[in-house]
Amino acid sequence: MNYFPDEVVEHVFDFVTSHKDRNSISLVCKSWFKIERYSRQNVFIGNCYSINPERLLRRFPCFKSLTLKGKPHFADFNLVPHGWGGFVQPWIEALARSRVGLEELRLKRMVVTDESLELLSRSFVNFKSLVLVSCEGFSTDGLASIASNCRHLRDLDLQENEIDDHRGQWLSCFPEAYTSLVTLNFACLEGETNLVALERLVARSPNLRSLKLNRAVPLDALARLMACAPQIVDLGVGSYEDEQDSESCLKLQAAIRKCTSLRSLSGFLEAAPHCLSAFHPVCHNLTYLNLSYAAEINGSHLIRLIEHCKKLQRLWILDSIGDKGLEVVASTCKELQELRVFPTDLQGGGNTAVTEDGLVAISAGCPKLHSILYFCQQMTNAALITVAKNCPNFIRFRLCILEPHKPDHVTSQPLDEGFGAIVQACKNLKRLSVSGLLTDQVFLYIGMFATQLEMLSIAFAGDTDKGMLYVLNGCKKMRKLEIRDSPFGDTALLADVNKYVTMRSLWMSSCEVTLGGCKRLAQKAPWLNVEIINENDNNRMEENGYEGRQKVDKMYLYRTVVGTRVDAPPFVWIL
Amino acid sequence: MEKDGLELEITELRLGLPGRDLTEKIMKKRGFMEMIMTSSGSNSEQCESGTVSSGVDVEKVNDMPAGKTQVVGWPPVCSYRRKNSCKEVSTTKVGLGYVKVSMDGIPYLRKMDLGSSQGYDDLAFALDKLFHGIGVALKDGDNCEYVTIYEDKDGDWMLAGDVPWVMFIESCKRLRIMKRSDATGFGLQPRGVDE
Repeated sequence: MNYFPDEVVEHVFDFVTSHKDRNSISLVCKSWFKIERYSRQNVFIGNCYSINPERLLRRFPCFKSLTLKGKPHFADFNLVPHGWGGFVQPWIEALARSRVGLEELRLKRMVVTDESLELLSRSFVNFKSLVLVSCEGFSTDGLASIASNCRHLRDLDLQENEIDDHRGQWLSCFPEAYTSLVTLNFACLEGETNLVALERLVARSPNLRSLKLNRAVPLDALARLMACAPQIVDLGVGSYEDEQDSESCLKLQAAIRKCTSLRSLSGFLEAAPHCLSAFHPVCHNLTYLNLSYAAEINGSHLIRLIEHCKKLQRLWILDSIGDKGLEVVASTCKELQELRVFPTDLQGGGNTAVTEDGLVAISAGCPKLHSILYFCQQMTNAALITVAKNCPNFIRFRLCILEPHKPDHVTSQPLDEGFGAIVQACKNLKRLSVSGLLTDQVFLYIGMFATQLEMLSIAFAGDTDKGMLYVLNGCKKMRKLEIRDSPFGDTALLADVNKYVTMRSLWMSSCEVTLGGCKRLAQKAPWLNVEIINENDNNRMEENGYEGRQKVDKMYLYRTVVGTRVDAPPFVWIL
Repeated sequence: MEKDGLELEITELRLGLPGRDLTEKIMKKRGFMEMIMTSSGSNSEQCESGTVSSGVDVEKVNDMPAGKTQVVGWPPVCSYRRKNSCKEVSTTKVGLGYVKVSMDGIPYLRKMDLGSSQGYDDLAFALDKLFHGIGVALKDGDNCEYVTIYEDKDGDWMLAGDVPWVMFIESCKRLRIMKRSDATGFGLQPRGVDE
């Protein structure tokens, strides 16, 4: 391959976009390694502590887009204490000092400060796209900096972040001459919104495709916004009071009818049911519908909307839709690829809105289904076996039975056979979450059949270390394993230390691993950071010279090329 | 396989299915129930009796005090979604008492934490802040355009300010600020009329 000039090879590489593929081609030979690293545009770092900014810049001096992920997944469920880490500041500082022409930054589960946003906004002239998902630590002041200083901003996409809303005038900070906005998502902001500034911004953004509003945008404002952005493709609606005058509704309906490009609808926090019917005219074109925050809308209204959505590919909904509603989905949405059914009642109040019947109906009716997240009260092995037969194409299968340790509600057996059927049938399964009463047997099945599995979430499952060993030994492609409240201990943890070379990370909380076991692992595997998180003890474990037998409450280990991180708080002990 | 100092105390609870061979290795399962009993220091953990799946033999279940179980991070719903789920309104614990507050003429709802107020005057002040100085009335007789009503545990709408504060926060599910002129049926005197 060395008879092609570098430019030609580079041009060929331009067609290779996936990170995995680019990583592979960089391993072919030195020449390819060199060409690839200078031409890599998009860098993806799945764990911000696996590498540092300096090494990133040394390897890829010319990238334009950076994706960084910080906290482990279980941080979403409050299992990682505040202050653990994932700070973006050092990254932005390093990039600002370098000559990287950063254009896109995507962060997930990281701590972002107003200072970081200010620095970001001032350091990169061509900065175009900021996507923050499940981040925290900043306020609307930081957004004001971005708005004021990023002249070429295209995307400002804030998804499910904790933002301190100072109710400032950040929307007014976009300069009058600024017209390049394509994506604006501020649905997660809690406070009031300057509606005048918003309307003016939308009116002067002819390229606006995606607009997701927060709670504080009332019906008549929505109508006006849609009237000046009929080209909109993706809309997130705010929230409404129950009583709305019919004139506002009519105006909204008229505006909606003009939005012929609308494909994606979300929001509806605290929305009134009759507003939903205003969207019926556009339903037949929708490919993505997210009503998972619309707790105020009962099943029948949801069903009436969904009946019109024949082209739906992705549906996120609450379990208030019920099994009957899922049957309607199954008979209407033949193009459905992804379904997420979230629980309405988080306290497990015994509300049996969706059961195994709904899941079976979906599996029977939707031949293209490949991703599912399903919260329910009960499940049976028979249902799962049927689902596996109906849908052998699952890539992601996440089932959450709300009550831990709950067996098959008909036979009282563990759900091993059911999940076993899923992993055996679904040869492309990459992500799996299991729940309900499960013994080591289910892990035997997973180890045997889930050859493509990359991410596995386990909670309240298994009997002995054998369970975890089956998974570690069997799943060759495992990257992320997260386990809570399961009886796996040091034996499983230490059995094959080299496994943690091919895995990105392992989380174990409320399991049986001991301090001694973790210490031994850290010794045997110097390429790992083995973190012990003990928010109640603040390192008293170390000071008191606890015996190695002390059980560790939370352990998070991950491979890294840069050793122990320096920003760990006192309650994190890195072995 | 070496046990290597894993001198695990035999768990008080041994969870097993009927008919299982219990002479196998001692199950070191930290069962759901045991975890609730032994964990400490995590937020909002109260024990519950009786969430035991059928078909499982469990000892020592009856030692648990009654109350709602709140296992940290379970169900696995992300915290952003939890906050926005209206069913998260808890009326059993002060401090978790987020209630929705609506006001006539304002097109969006607010949420506030009842537990952060000490009494009706505090509440009036907090409501005032929420809706920017509308001057919300809480007691009959105040000369104000608005009154505050609340929906109680039984689903009835009552005038705020009549019952003792503690009783109020325990039963209040949501608040509504409405125009005094619309608030018929609450036994209010018309504005400006002496009693």
